[in-house]
Parts: sequence; C-alpha cells; structure tokens
Amino acid sequence: MSAAGGQGRPFLRVFLAPEVTYSRSTGENDQVSRSQQRGLRRVRDLCRVLQLPSTFEDTAVAYYQQAYRHSGIRAARLQKKEVLVGCCVLITCRQHNWPLTMGTVCALLYADLDVFSGTYMQIVKLLGLDVPSLCLADLVKTYCSSFRLFQASPSVPAKYVEDKEKMLSRTLQLVELADETWLVTGRHPLPVITAATFLAWQSLQPSHRLTCSLARFCKLANVDLPYPASSRLQELLSVLLRMAERLAWLQVLKLDKRSVVKHIGDLLQHRHTLVRKAFRDGTAEMEAGEKELRGRCQGPEQGKEEVASSSLDLPEGKRPASPTPLLPPCMLKPPKRICPPPPVSTVTGDENISDSEIEQYLRTPQEIKDFEKAQAARQAARSVSNPP
Amino acid sequence: MDADSDVALDILITNVVCVFRTRCHLNLRKIALEGANVIYKRDVGKVLMKLRKPRITATIWSSGKIICTGATSEEEAKFGARRLARSLQKLGFQVIFTDFKVVNVLAVCNMPFEIRLPEFTKNNRPHASYEPELHPAVCYRIKSLRATLQIFSTGSITVTVLKRKYTLPTPLDSEQGPT
Repeated sequence: MSAAGGQGRPFLRVFLAPEVTYSRSTGENDQVSRSQQRGLRRVRDLCRVLQLPSTFEDTAVAYYQQAYRHSGIRAARLQKKEVLVGCCVLITCRQHNWPLTMGTVCALLYADLDVFSGTYMQIVKLLGLDVPSLCLADLVKTYCSSFRLFQASPSVPAKYVEDKEKMLSRTLQLVELADETWLVTGRHPLPVITAATFLAWQSLQPSHRLTCSLARFCKLANVDLPYPASSRLQELLSVLLRMAERLAWLQVLKLDKRSVVKHIGDLLQHRHTLVRKAFRDGTAEMEAGEKELRGRCQGPEQGKEEVASSSLDLPEGKRPASPTPLLPPCMLKPPKRICPPPPVSTVTGDENISDSEIEQYLRTPQEIKDFEKAQAARQAARSVSNPP
Repeated sequence: MDADSDVALDILITNVVCVFRTRCHLNLRKIALEGANVIYKRDVGKVLMKLRKPRITATIWSSGKIICTGATSEEEAKFGARRLARSLQKLGFQVIFTDFKVVNVLAVCNMPFEIRLPEFTKNNRPHASYEPELHPAVCYRIKSLRATLQIFSTGSITVTVLKRKYTLPTPLDSEQGPT
C-alpha cells in the first residue's frame, strides 16, 4: 500500500515484508519428526518393560531429544536410531546406579552389540556425559535374582532349590574374592558372577549338588551360560585351593577342585587373611625365583655351586613342595618371548632411491603377458560354468 | 614399583600412518596389471600395494591420494612413501610427491606391574572410561596431546597419537579419494 503524495500531504512509503509461507507462520516444520516420535515412544516403552521409575523415563527422553538435535544422529540409519533408544536408557540407569547390562538392552532391542557399542561411545562423547561404571555388587544382586532356583517346580527338583538370601550372600563374597584375586579386572563381569553363583549354590548343599555341572546348573536356573564362565570357574577353584593350602585343618585333607567346594564356607570366613598371606608368599616366591635365575645367568659355575649347596641342605624327597604362588592370571601364563630391541634406524626419509630397488615392484613384460593370459582363462572358465 | 625406582620403560612404535598426493590421476587397472604385490579392490575403487623394505602397505585411489601404513618410524614412513611414488613414476604416471603428512602414530609400552582397572578408572575420571562389557581395557584420553591410551590390566599400554586430523574415505569417496 502506498499513498501517493499530493497537495502537501507527506509521502508515505511502506516497504512490504516478503511473503511468509503458511508452514513458517504456523511452525509446522518445528514439529517432531515421525522417526523421532517413534524413538521417544520406544524409550518410554523400554523404561516400562524394565519397570524403571518415572524420573528415569524423563531423563532418558531428554537424552534422546538432545541426541536427536545433532545432525549426525538425525541423518543416521534407522538401525542406529533404534539402538540409540537403548543407549539413552542405559546411560540413565548407570547414572542412577541401576544395574542394567548392555547385553540385556541388546537382547530386548534385538540389536547387534557392535552397533550398540559404537552408538553408545558416540553418544557419550557427543553429549559430554560422565557415565559411572557398573557397580558389581548391584549387578550380582540383580543377576542372581533372575536365577529360577528359589522355588520348586517341575523342572527344578527340591534338592536343587536354595534360599535366595543365603545364595546371594555367598555369591557376593565369592565375587569379592574374585575381585581381590585379579579375576574380575579386564574381564566381562557376567561369566565371573555366573561361576561364583554356581559355586555358592553347590557349596550350600554339596552332597546333592557336586554331581551337577555348570551347564546343567544354568539350564536348571533358566539362564544363558556365557562362554568364558567355565574358565572363570576353574580360576576361582584354583584360588580356593591355594587358600585351602594355608588353612591348617584343610592342609591334611589334600583337597582337589571337587572336594574344596565343601569347604567354601570356611575359606570365605577367613578369606581376607588367607588371600593376604597367599599373595605375600607368592610375591616372596617369585622374588626368590628371580634372584636365583639372575644368579644362574651371571655365572653358571656360581649358580651350580648355589644349587649344589641348597641340595645339600635338605635330603632329596624331604624338600618341602612349594605351593604355586597366588598371582594374577596374566602372570601365571608363560612369559612372552621378549622381542629383541629393534636396531637403531638410520633412515632419514630423504635417501636416494635407486632404480634397481624399484624394479622388484614392477612386473616384467613377460609377467604382464602371463598375467593377462591367466585372467582371460579365468574369465573364460567362469563364463563356461555360468552360462547366460 | 616404588615411585623413586629407576626402571626405564621401552616405548616401541609399531605403526605410523601417513598420506601424500601424486597430483595426477592414477589408472588403477594399469597399476594392478603392471605392478607386483598389488591387490585391486574394484568394488571400493582402490588398489593395495605392499612394499618389502620398508614393510608398508599403501592404499591407492585413482584421484592420486595415497595412505601408507605399517612403518615403524616417521622417517621410514616418508622413505616408503617416496619409494611408492617412484614405483608409480616407473609405471609411467606423472607423479609429483606432495602434501606428505604423518597422520597417526601407534606405540606400545609395558608396565612392570598389573593394574586394577575399576579403581584406576574411578581415580581418573573423566579422562578414563572403562566398559568391561565392550573392551577389556581402559580408554584414557589426553586432549592436549590428542592421544588415546588403551590400558590393560596386564600393564600393557597402547598409545595412539593423532598428528593431523584426517577423515577416512567412504565408498562414495572412491572417485575423489580421501579428504
């Protein structure tokens, strides 16, 4: 609209604003996208399935919305967006010390653990979150509660039913023992907890349960048997045997990995002292062994004299057997071959390169012809076997 | 190990990644035909060429961008890259060796003691993160040095230092090569 100037009237010029589209005026484009809406619904559903408090749901939803604001997430594939749902719920649970494993979340979402781990690390970095580690004690309580051994049923005979509190208490002690003896650090927690639960269950009524294997136990309890659980079980039994060697009334019994289960209660009662003693003796044994080795390396004749003198001290057959020291599993394995230090390199990067050095990376004309013939023959063979 | 003990730690560089440009288009088919020790990955549009001395593997794109991996020092990486450029020159390409840069250095080191990872992580937040369900090592980031350390309970440590920011190519970049 403009008003033309006329007889002394001021000239008014109004600049028209550019046309505003309907979508911009109503904020239609600001609406949440369909995939984001679906994701937010999935977050809420997952929180309800896991029976999490409502505050967790709000936090997880907030994280999902924050993550969705990043262009990398908005443009990601649907698979990643579905996994993002689980990541937000997991982070929320971790921040509230609610024990939830990645395996559980992946199982509920039918997600691949590799995709989940990549998305999880990305989200933690993107949102700058500080995610506390999973508390082992809480995980033990939650995981043990899922074992179906606390009530008799057609699949679980009465002799296999156990009191939940007793089993939980003993499992916790065994897991603490595993933690102190280097069986937990650097390893997936669930196999250790499974092995500890099995031993706790066996030790509470060993007369009926010693014949039951770990695999059968997991089947009875209706839980999956993690692959490394058997190795963790053997390691835990070795630790218990080392501890038993320090108890006077068990030394005479000559226990093995089967019979030591009956005495787990005693061992756990004195575990702090026994473990400390076993480690101290183990370290002393190792240092003595190293000194002897160094002595032998320095002078074989000197070493021989030492060995001879030590053998004269005690007659053969009466030398006390030295128990294997209680050490972290990585130290019990045979030491890796020490790589010889690489020779000092004199390469500067700017040396001259002679033609003869390059010839080895180029085919001769004859080799090129042979290669082409071989390729043609292969193509022909393929076309014969796969006719159009 | 005491704080005052004089134990020297050996840090061994195991891998150096570098990139350079040839400033000319490269015919990958010709390289695959006339070069020795090559693998032609037609589906992703690149050629892998391995050198014996130094022991490096080069990934060659038709745009003339090349990544070399496997060297055990920066000087060796440069020497290997130049050797590769020379090989391509011998094949008849008008190669000019330019834009050489070392992008990544990987080293390993062994501590003479074991490490309790949960306690270590607790005492070193927020630099350290430990997810035993995903990986058996603690990931420790030093932002100022652009370094990432993987710390294992055995005492073994892997150090990765990013020297230059570099984006790995995607299949869509096979024509253009890495950025």
